[in-house]
Amino acid sequence: MDWTGLQPEMIRSELAEIVGESNVSTDEADRLVYSTDWFWLPQMWLDRGETPRKPDYIVRPGNAEEISEILKIANSYRIPVIPWGGGSGSQGGALPVFGGIILDTKRMNRVIEIDEKSLTVTAEAGINGKQLEWAVNEKGLMLPHYPASANCATLGGYLAPRGTGTISNKYGKAEDLVLRMQVVLPDGHILRTPIVPQHAAGPDFYRLFLGSEGTFGVITEATMQLDYLPSCRLLRAVLFDDLTKALEAGRQIMTRRLDPFVIRLYDPRSTASRVKKILGYELEGAYMVIGFDGDQEIAALQEQKAMEIIHSFGARDLGRELGEAWWNQRYDFYYPPQSLKLPWMYGTTETVTTYDKIEKLYFAEKKAVEEGFKEWDIDFIGHFSHWFHWGVMVYTRFIIQNPPEDAREAVKLHNQVWNTAMTAVLENGGMVNEHHGVGLKLSRFMRRQYGDAWPLLEKIKKTLDPNGIMNPGKVGFGY
Amino acid sequence: MCRHVAPVGHVTHNESFTPHGIALVASMQRRGKIAWNASTLDVLYAEPDGGNCRAHCVTDQPLPAAIAAIRAEVAAEGFAPPAITQVHDRIVRDHSAFGNYQPTMLKGEYGLFVGDAGFNLSQSTMEAAAGLLGACGVDAVPVGCGLDSGFIPCSLGYPDTARKQAQLCIDEMQKVGVKKLFVLSPQDLFSFRQMYEERLGISWPKEIVLIDLVDFLSEQVQKGRLRIRPLSAAAQNDTAYVDPTHAVRLPARFDSARRLCEAILEKSPIELFWHRERAHPVGSTAIQFTRPDIGTQLTEARLEDARSRGAKILLCDDPATLHELDLRNQHSLQIQDLYETLLGQLEV
Repeated sequence: MDWTGLQPEMIRSELAEIVGESNVSTDEADRLVYSTDWFWLPQMWLDRGETPRKPDYIVRPGNAEEISEILKIANSYRIPVIPWGGGSGSQGGALPVFGGIILDTKRMNRVIEIDEKSLTVTAEAGINGKQLEWAVNEKGLMLPHYPASANCATLGGYLAPRGTGTISNKYGKAEDLVLRMQVVLPDGHILRTPIVPQHAAGPDFYRLFLGSEGTFGVITEATMQLDYLPSCRLLRAVLFDDLTKALEAGRQIMTRRLDPFVIRLYDPRSTASRVKKILGYELEGAYMVIGFDGDQEIAALQEQKAMEIIHSFGARDLGRELGEAWWNQRYDFYYPPQSLKLPWMYGTTETVTTYDKIEKLYFAEKKAVEEGFKEWDIDFIGHFSHWFHWGVMVYTRFIIQNPPEDAREAVKLHNQVWNTAMTAVLENGGMVNEHHGVGLKLSRFMRRQYGDAWPLLEKIKKTLDPNGIMNPGKVGFGY
Repeated sequence: MCRHVAPVGHVTHNESFTPHGIALVASMQRRGKIAWNASTLDVLYAEPDGGNCRAHCVTDQPLPAAIAAIRAEVAAEGFAPPAITQVHDRIVRDHSAFGNYQPTMLKGEYGLFVGDAGFNLSQSTMEAAAGLLGACGVDAVPVGCGLDSGFIPCSLGYPDTARKQAQLCIDEMQKVGVKKLFVLSPQDLFSFRQMYEERLGISWPKEIVLIDLVDFLSEQVQKGRLRIRPLSAAAQNDTAYVDPTHAVRLPARFDSARRLCEAILEKSPIELFWHRERAHPVGSTAIQFTRPDIGTQLTEARLEDARSRGAKILLCDDPATLHELDLRNQHSLQIQDLYETLLGQLEV
């Protein structure tokens, strides 16, 4: 489609009537900046001097009603609409694959209400995660969702891909913390989900929007569960001889409901490389950080019980200092200069499954990736960081320090690694993702992931968004 | 990833006006994928150089300095917009962005660096500061009256002009014989302590000790050398403190300023949401020249912040910040100079 001339200007003018001239942009610089999120492929594409697919319009609505009107225009012209929060997604979920309208929600950034009795906060979805945290901290409260992207991501961005934060073991994923949402459907209809999520008054339809990454509608407001800021945080580091013992210790701590807010277990390769590089500790084995928070006496007792389990596996207690050092530097793993960076090729093939499968899955994926790409001197590392009563997430990563310089060859290799990793994950009972989302990156694996259930998801998509305007190319849905 | 403290990103809600956006545009220009034009220059000049992004940078990346360096390339190639070349021409001619420079003929061991804004925008601040120093037994010679310390030209991309301004500052202080220099504005203190060395390659003369006036006065109050009477009960409850622009670069002054406020309020001032290490810039940056529309938005956001916190009186100690707040005050807030207020409450 030719996007020059009269028709694009007509559409721009209609959008400006809704949100005001200053909130619609077709500027060259804006279109460039909104052409990439934190997915490795577009970053590499730009870094190699290639031109990315750019959006046609950037629109900044101020409320749900304006979004509703924008979606009606998009439907009438069949223009893709891509919701945008902080642009910190690593899966390409905010990429304008087919051009269209980037719907930047950051103008919708108000804290609407903090309920200190029910411990909830209601805020607009475009609010920055850190700002929301500062706002509730003033009341002695916290939103217990601490992702590494909090400085950048928005509340809507927490929910749309079903994100997970550092302290999820105890407090849950973002999806567990949401009570209520306001959503604008693709046809412009604005709805509110029921006032509480736990009830017996019909099906749990609000969950459809969690993980839909803007393909079923736009989350515009959410009421989130808060907690009191803990009066204490007890952190400790321990070192296991091997991963098997460490995983079993973690499983026992979780299934006995000792309630750690964090268990971060690094595989021996990560312990020797990342932990050494960032924290400066030279350790051999599997390094684990475990933390308990809340009431001092209860946290101390929980820690004591957990340490009994840990000691029963012969692990070495490294003390509080090495645990607290990790807590204080936990985000350094993701920021420059310690983070992985171009021109390297890297990807986080994180997955989740039940305890009975996790170890086999981890080693199968490791073997498939390491053997499949030996000639590229691929590095495969991992840590186990979000633990549930029934299983655990493994945050696996591949790194190739000397990938092809040619952008197209790099895309080819990148996709081959992902194919290999995801095949191993799916064949061993894992989910293609636990908390980064699907986006564009994993879209092609969704049909296989869901099998018999996929046609149902497609029908839902077709019903909600018959013109396929909402974030096309993502979460397995086309355009 | 520092959008949580990117002030221009906050007020414009535009991804392009965040450190990430500016860096991406600049890197694509370097790669020859885009040219400097109205759209891309808009992004390049939308950064106020207030220090917020660096103050919060996990790894202390000097992005503001990098942006100033890119602006220097743009200016050298003749692409700087007219609004910017005009300010630059004025500084070359007058050594001041706001008015005139008046070098002092006096001599003295103690100096008070008044600066451009202090002399040309808010002389009462300078006079109150001198009065407070006098009350502490310090007879300080006003220096740098109407003189830009080099910050504005450096930030706009004219490092050679900035070096000349810096040399003028140093020359004047050496002529006066200053050994201890009290600095009125955080902008100038940042220039002397950090910017000269980092961006201009100029070392600050070792024989001249730099003192943040807020830190000094706070210490005098604590030691009982400066005795202050409290304000009325109503004023005590309704007063907020605004951390001035560049305060994020001088974190020691956060507590000092609040101790001074407590001396007149007998309690802590109301804190704005954007306070201390996350304080947003208001005035005292180059953005008033590069993107006045955004400069206005930043100021209005700060005034709205104060209003939403229930403040009726706003205290601040920086001449340029005070001037800008006063200029845009739409909410019937009382903008008060901290030094003038302290002087007014001084026990003789």
